[in-house]
Amino acid sequence: MNGNNFEPVILCFACNWCSYTGADLAGTSRMQYPPNVRLVRVMCSGRVDPLFILKALRLGVDGVLVLGCHPGDCHYQTGNYRTRRRIAVVKKLLEYMGIDPRRVQAGWVSASEGAKFAEVITQVTKEIKEIGPNRLFTEEKERHGSEVTTRS
Amino acid sequence: MEAKLRQEAKTLLEQGKVNYIIGYEPGTLKFTTTPLITKNKEDVDRLVINPFIANNLSVYLTHVQGKVGIVAKGCDSRSIVNLLQDNQVVRENVVILGVPCDGIIDVGKVEQLLGKDRDDIDSITRKGDKVVVAVDGSEKEFPIRQVLYDNCLGCELPTPNECDILLGETVAPSTDTAASLTNIEALKSLSLEQRWEFWEKEFSRCIRCYACRSSCPACFCKRCFVEEGEPQLVQPLPRWEENLLFQVIRTIHVAGRCTDCGQCDRACPVNIPLRSLNKEVYDLVGRLFQYKPGTDKDAAPLLTGYEAEDPGDVFR
Repeated sequence: MNGNNFEPVILCFACNWCSYTGADLAGTSRMQYPPNVRLVRVMCSGRVDPLFILKALRLGVDGVLVLGCHPGDCHYQTGNYRTRRRIAVVKKLLEYMGIDPRRVQAGWVSASEGAKFAEVITQVTKEIKEIGPNRLFTEEKERHGSEVTTRS
Repeated sequence: MEAKLRQEAKTLLEQGKVNYIIGYEPGTLKFTTTPLITKNKEDVDRLVINPFIANNLSVYLTHVQGKVGIVAKGCDSRSIVNLLQDNQVVRENVVILGVPCDGIIDVGKVEQLLGKDRDDIDSITRKGDKVVVAVDGSEKEFPIRQVLYDNCLGCELPTPNECDILLGETVAPSTDTAASLTNIEALKSLSLEQRWEFWEKEFSRCIRCYACRSSCPACFCKRCFVEEGEPQLVQPLPRWEENLLFQVIRTIHVAGRCTDCGQCDRACPVNIPLRSLNKEVYDLVGRLFQYKPGTDKDAAPLLTGYEAEDPGDVFR
């Protein structure tokens, strides 16, 4: 597939209290960011089960992004501390399995950081465009088939 | 050690200090042992301790009611500590009969060294740091480290840390831990794509028998996420994609609980190198959070606890 035409689908889990509000702020402030991201609002970034991340990749999204409150600012006091440990383990394990670590990303975006939200989305989209579409779970034939067509 | 175990087990049952004894008895196959769970004091004479006591018996603790006396090697006692941390077992209800363990012999490796089936081998005897194998009327000697399980080669805690009765002399930890990482290092030297292909191939063989889950003491959930139907995020079909999803999530669920006992590896009927996954996470939590599973029964389980200073460098 041609890298320039490739528009990735990125699934973003955003915590209700900080990151989702941050995304709202980016919107109301009319900041520009790539339209590749699909937002899923969760009550806390700690709600994001590693299974959600894997399932999203299994269903073919090109990248997963988990956003939460800055450490210490969690609405539920400690939710994002757990996220921090969990995501660190998930990312390293997936890299060991053979998934590009850039496909699973995470960040802290507070409610007042609309600009940071736009910047994170821009950067993540750029990185995922670089690594190309997610073919981890596509059929063998399909995977190699599409590569052959691109080369010819 | 065996005589002392039988003696202690008998006393415990006679004095009513425990309702059950969980230990090992000789298996029906050569060079194997099988769990013995009994409340009958006549049965204690069947208990054995030998270099083939591979099973991690702590998996039965959550299944047996009442007070239990359990035979535990170093890794097993760590698994028991995990169960204490997760409130699955009450300390007062368990009497741990600690076995200082200097490694379990992998009969598969002996078979490979000799090029013979286990039925053709007459005896395998451990003599210090040598193993003597009698085959076809002659005796062959090998260094013991050639025939031990991979996880035993890197054992950090051969003497049970949590135990009530220690049945023998303490054993020093392994000094050459790198030897237990051969498979993992080989895998790490591959590119991302090659690694993914490796796991794709491995998980194509998985038949979803869930032996890994049943034999793992860290997998104590009454209801597993793969059996969840609403929403059904992982399908029960034995397709490699679903198998991989199941196993990756299982690995994350046991992160910080896995004590590298190697039971998943031994339980797998199609020989998927599951230990390569779990051991990597075991080392990972040590590197990232300085967390050694099963060494501190008062600590919070890894993924439910936190420290304000935990590394957050993967976060933007």
